[in-house]
Amino acid sequence: MRPPSPSIPEKEFLFSALKQGLRLDSRDFLETRPVTLNFGPELGWVECSLGKTRVLCQVDAKMVKPPPERPFEGFITIHSELSPMASSEYELGRPSEEEVTITRMLDKVIRRSDVVDKESLCIQAAQRVWHLRINVHCLADSGNLLDCACLASLVALKHFRKPDVEVIGEEVIVHPPTSRAPLPLSLHHTPYCFTFAFFFDTSIPPVLDPNLLEQRLNGGLISIALNSQRELCVVQKSGGVPLEPADVLNIVNVAVQKAKDLDAFVEARLREDWAGRKVEVR
Amino acid sequence: MSLSLSLSFDALSRVDGSARFGFGLYPQFLTSLSGPIEVRLAAEQPSQTTIEVNVRPLTNVPGTESKKFGVILKEVMQRQVIMEANPRTLIQFVVQALVPLRSNSKHTLNSDEIMAAMINCCTLSLLNAGSVPMRGVICAVSVARVIQVDKAFKYVVQPGDPNQASSCVAVGCFAFLFSEPEPKLSSEPSSASSPCVWTNWRFLRPGHADSSSGDESETAARKIWERMKMLVEERENLKTAPALSLKNASSSRSKANEANDAMVVENEDEDDDVKMEI
Repeated sequence: MRPPSPSIPEKEFLFSALKQGLRLDSRDFLETRPVTLNFGPELGWVECSLGKTRVLCQVDAKMVKPPPERPFEGFITIHSELSPMASSEYELGRPSEEEVTITRMLDKVIRRSDVVDKESLCIQAAQRVWHLRINVHCLADSGNLLDCACLASLVALKHFRKPDVEVIGEEVIVHPPTSRAPLPLSLHHTPYCFTFAFFFDTSIPPVLDPNLLEQRLNGGLISIALNSQRELCVVQKSGGVPLEPADVLNIVNVAVQKAKDLDAFVEARLREDWAGRKVEVR
Repeated sequence: MSLSLSLSFDALSRVDGSARFGFGLYPQFLTSLSGPIEVRLAAEQPSQTTIEVNVRPLTNVPGTESKKFGVILKEVMQRQVIMEANPRTLIQFVVQALVPLRSNSKHTLNSDEIMAAMINCCTLSLLNAGSVPMRGVICAVSVARVIQVDKAFKYVVQPGDPNQASSCVAVGCFAFLFSEPEPKLSSEPSSASSPCVWTNWRFLRPGHADSSSGDESETAARKIWERMKMLVEERENLKTAPALSLKNASSSRSKANEANDAMVVENEDEDDDVKMEI
């Protein structure tokens, strides 16, 4: 079902407010909405919300036989499908533009930028490896689903623990979590994604973390995924108004600072959650 | 019999109503409801509304099992929603599982428990939305009939995995429609009966078939109904609706028979802002 486009009064109001340097939800141009992370009882389950946008992500692992062309590595599959829960404009079975963008970006940010050390997922060469499945469910789309989905998947990967496996000769023993503590995944780096929206009127500077109205009325979106060590993973700008190189560099600098802040927040939340779980070391 | 429930209204921004429900300490399902909304021409019905239920498991693509649950839920919802009130419209449910439906951990759910939780969750989301006219409130529980040592039958509500318990002879899920008004005096029991609108009662072993299913299922479903009413009361009177905590659950269970005078006050205020956005 096609969404009703924003009405003309809404459009004019937004543009005139932005021209005066005001965002409708009284944020700064370069301020994100408040991020909250809620962890579930099982490890690897996290619900992330960026303002009213919400995404649920769950990671689980299965032991499988690896494909013959890559016998020493595990593999990751990401499953993200938009359901009518995110908004009634999304239909099941018909991928919308937003869904395609999210799927491709998650693929680039998580798989192609090598977040997870795949060789550490190998248990027995050419026979058993871990197959990690990342399930992303978008619960509410209030603008900028992409950043929320990337953050949720990343935090879920950091939260997840895989069972401890012991290989003795040809025998493989999987220890249940009650007998041996499960192990965290080995991650190379943690990329965070930031989306900026810019508008047809080039006098309006780009805004970070567009909400629903800003995203509907944008003249182009640019998404930057980078980690807190200032390494760029993905820069994606699909169509839209052309940007000056100086603007792009500014945006990247802003994203670098935000990535550091977000990383500190995520680490603090993970530590807090871990402290709340009863972990016995015998 | 003690029922531990976790129910709460959610605040998803792009749908009309949303709620979480679970048997036990944590919510197992999150249902969102949009309706009555515009319907595709192919699915339009000229004299009644169209109901669509999508069940999405936590892991994997939705498969045949999800489709089966969806079809059953659609049937049950048709008993609850007044279909003729909004012709040529769509009422769209999306049931999202928050726990893996098939797992080998200790939290395995049997399919009856799943069914009961999904029905209750859909009912809660209808109550949260308030935009769909309803005939009544449907609450469901799963029950098992167990043979005791002295060959007498006992009905157990919310059993564990029935295949493991060798004394289970029959299992199933019952859904009851509650619609009678509250009695004026709290000492009067509710007089009207609540009909059972759906069941999948089945016998696991031959030779025990008979049609009785005991009153325990209706009593348990009534308790669930009372919890739902309390949640709605809280929401309407206090304008804040934090999730009911387990602490509250045990106190409310003991007061379940005096639902009229039990007005539970929650002390969690941190969800104030979330609820104010509605």
